[in-house]
Amino acid sequence: MTPFLLSQDNLVLLLEELSQNLEVIAPVLAEGEPVFATWKGQPLALDKENPLNSPAEFFLPQRETLFRYVQYSGRYTFEEDPPKSRLILGMRPCDVQAIRVLDQIFGSGPADLPYVNKRKSTIIVALNCTKPQETCFCAQMGAGPRSEVGYDLLFTEIEQGYVVESGTPAGMFILKYYSHLFEEALPEHLEEMETRLRDAENAVRKNRPDMSAESILQAAENVDLDRAEKECLQCGGCSLVCPICHCFSTMDQGVPDGERIRCRDSCVLAGFSRMTGGANPRETLGKRQLHWYLDKFVYIPEKTGMLGCVGCGRCSKVCLGKVDRWKLLEEAMRR
Amino acid sequence: MEMIHTTCVYCGCGCGLFFHVEDGRIVGVSPSSRHPLSRGRLCVKGWLAHDFVHHPDRLKIPLIRRDGRQSKVAWDKALDLIAQRFEEIKNRHGPDSLAVLTSAKGTNEENYLLMKMARAGFGTNNVDHVARLCHAPSVAGLGLSLGSGAMTNAIKSLHQSETILVTGSNTTEQHPLIAAHILEAQSRGAKLIVVDPRKTQMAKLADIHLAPELGCDVAWTNGMLNLIIEKGLIDETFIEERTEGFEDLKKAVSKYTPEVVEEIAGISKEELEKVAMVFGSASCASIVYAMGTTQHSNGTDNVLALANLVLATGNVGRDGTGIYPLRGHQNVQGACDMGALPNVYSGYQKVADGESRKKFEKSWGVNLPENPGLTAVEIMEAAEEGRIRAMYISGENPMMSYPDRERVKKALESLDFLVVADIFPTETTALAHVVLPVASFAEKDGTFTSTERRVQLVRKAVLAPGEAKSEWEVVCELMKRLELDADYTSPREVMEEIARVTPSYGGISYERLGVLGLHWPCPNSSHPGTEILHQETFPIGKAKFHPVEHEVLERNEEYPFILTTGRNLFHFHTGTITRRIQLLDRERPQALLEINPKDAKDLGIRRGQKVVAESPKHSLEVEVQITPDIPPGIVFMPFHYQEAPANLLTSHKLDQKSKIPDLKRIPVKIRRVEG
Repeated sequence: MTPFLLSQDNLVLLLEELSQNLEVIAPVLAEGEPVFATWKGQPLALDKENPLNSPAEFFLPQRETLFRYVQYSGRYTFEEDPPKSRLILGMRPCDVQAIRVLDQIFGSGPADLPYVNKRKSTIIVALNCTKPQETCFCAQMGAGPRSEVGYDLLFTEIEQGYVVESGTPAGMFILKYYSHLFEEALPEHLEEMETRLRDAENAVRKNRPDMSAESILQAAENVDLDRAEKECLQCGGCSLVCPICHCFSTMDQGVPDGERIRCRDSCVLAGFSRMTGGANPRETLGKRQLHWYLDKFVYIPEKTGMLGCVGCGRCSKVCLGKVDRWKLLEEAMRR
Repeated sequence: MEMIHTTCVYCGCGCGLFFHVEDGRIVGVSPSSRHPLSRGRLCVKGWLAHDFVHHPDRLKIPLIRRDGRQSKVAWDKALDLIAQRFEEIKNRHGPDSLAVLTSAKGTNEENYLLMKMARAGFGTNNVDHVARLCHAPSVAGLGLSLGSGAMTNAIKSLHQSETILVTGSNTTEQHPLIAAHILEAQSRGAKLIVVDPRKTQMAKLADIHLAPELGCDVAWTNGMLNLIIEKGLIDETFIEERTEGFEDLKKAVSKYTPEVVEEIAGISKEELEKVAMVFGSASCASIVYAMGTTQHSNGTDNVLALANLVLATGNVGRDGTGIYPLRGHQNVQGACDMGALPNVYSGYQKVADGESRKKFEKSWGVNLPENPGLTAVEIMEAAEEGRIRAMYISGENPMMSYPDRERVKKALESLDFLVVADIFPTETTALAHVVLPVASFAEKDGTFTSTERRVQLVRKAVLAPGEAKSEWEVVCELMKRLELDADYTSPREVMEEIARVTPSYGGISYERLGVLGLHWPCPNSSHPGTEILHQETFPIGKAKFHPVEHEVLERNEEYPFILTTGRNLFHFHTGTITRRIQLLDRERPQALLEINPKDAKDLGIRRGQKVVAESPKHSLEVEVQITPDIPPGIVFMPFHYQEAPANLLTSHKLDQKSKIPDLKRIPVKIRRVEG
């Protein structure tokens, strides 16, 4: 399908129309900071940096109620909320790639229904990244700054608005149904798009020129784990903010009626790998940090055929210690 | 999904965070990137700050004790009863038979209203809160030397320091975000000195770590200052122009020669000279301290010694300098600012001062008591002796947090009437005649004041569970029943009154706070707030040196170990909140008594075994954690766990200057549990 052009004004009209039937999630400003939240007509923050809260949380929230259990006359009944119909606008290529990885992990049998149901009822409108940040290395991870697959619609910002491409029948449907808002993209629009994306890719590669999956894996073996152990402040932020990290714990809260809760967990925490008897295969912080690298660059690729890191740089941004994993890796690469 | 910006509920850092709210429930948290302290980061507790809000244990209905059991009661009945009982007891035993303990977890507005209720409604100055157990020596000590007990500079000032001395603070665990700022300053070239008997993570990361004997802070501080004076590293101009009493100080510290310090504190001459040089020669140096300094029976002296050090080196009043008491609770600074203390109204205006009293009498339209009231631990003692007959406790859990748990229990049980307002059932609500369910920080509007004097907004993100109400509403209802004007319709209106009567908060209003908040003193609506105190002058004119002496520790042969209590990274205070957060409780599900490998070997204790820790009055069983990070002769235990409440072993030994109990040096004996 040929690409279309959508003006900034028509984007707002499109969202207004879409939000009649769907919950539209988009980057908006909250206290001056871009965040993913429900769009209620407020100004969009598509031109700002990628929000710190990754859109993966709409499929795997930090805390979600899987179901409620209610006891009545000695029998339990279970109640679940149906998934919401959503459209997420402005998901960056790195996050789109992360969702592809999660789809593999949660979708392959036995499927994780709470995830899959949310995923199925969500339309992804991706936004190619034309303004990468210094912390970004999506290109090196093969995850950006241009999305190749995984979206329903794909936007790229140009001077006149957005070049819009569709990736699935759902995307095509939106283009057709709201065709009055779109016009055909002209060759110069596409040219501008290509230039912008090329520049973005060059900028991202320039940040960390030598980085690749292979070089990371090699360097991971040489990371100074003692330093990692000494300096990590155990906040768990790196895994809580990562769009691919997906480990969780479940618990039942409430007796006799209550909820089964699932909450995001972190392998940085000792309790995550500690066994009931007290033994812990990853007892030291250093070992847990090493596990993080191995999971992202060995285990997840083995499982999904894709890297477990998309180079979004969020873990570096939230790192509370001086231990930031990518700095450690780069040091190891230099050794 | 909505993103609501608010202020974290745990430590004094006062981080900014977003609640992710969906369908009236909080489903996540993320850090605020624009917030100057959190800067897009949080500690593990902060990342899980939402996780207790919808817990099924939340108190949802008012409870009243009938026939020894707590059962449901309507709000109106509960409030009527409270007003009636307090009136009765006041009429029979006098206003000073009543006491109020406010909460450092509550908002400024709630603390203000509670202290107003105590003074204007009950007619007593018996109002205090947990600051008594953490930074009373800072309020007393820094008040004496500098004229203000608050942190002198905003945290960002530390980035400009050449030398940062951290003492008595397990910063990476207790104030992780401030630790991050300090470590960043270190990365940029600042020298980090940590003085702590324990080898904390902060000590391991330091450029220099001194491990003095526990309780010898005055000795090493005086010794350091003595060397700094000897080496001519003092700031003579500053001393001359801005301070008083230096000659007396000089004389007093002169006897703390390196040899004496080595004898007392076990710090070698070389070590002491090194830190004296690094600290003394820095053009900007700062001191960060916390409960390891204050929770001693000579806590105020410890603070005074540190204040002498910064004053003599001219490290006050400029960017990159200063003295930084790290406040424990997110609003313990605010609760103090609001006058939830027995001797002052909001803004530290003294109750004994006729002018201040008149001002509040006029503003509140009542006569106010003249004599300062009792402090927190004294209130418990008075209750035990029958002098206090009724108490209103807001969101505190003295059964876990106060020293000598058995005495606290006896005190609370001997009251004629006890009201406890809280968000969860606690060991203290269990003893109450009336339990009031109140809103958590996620369910109300208001302000918290962080350790750096930053007044910040707290925003309502979701509704309180069941019938729980915001405590400011509860207090208004009670005040009306006590025939006081309390027609506030929102916390914003309460802040307007606070600003009217509190000079340091004069310019604070909700409209101005935003994400960044405002540092008090902020005297008027166009004032930008004050990041650095004492730039030109001190509130007391000139700062004053107060010479202090080392207090000799009495060793008890029968109780050869010293128990020092504190907290760990994963729990907060009495665990009321964090022990209900699965991930946090999983990390540290039980109390562990830290003991040195040598001591463990001598006692025949191995990893995972239990010991009995015994003080002269009580004992408890606890599992050990054998670690070289604690020196021989000292054992450490956190006080979060009701299964092994560390405060069973502590005592009412108070610092006479600030009335803080000694929670850091408790003589105990340790023996293996057989079998």
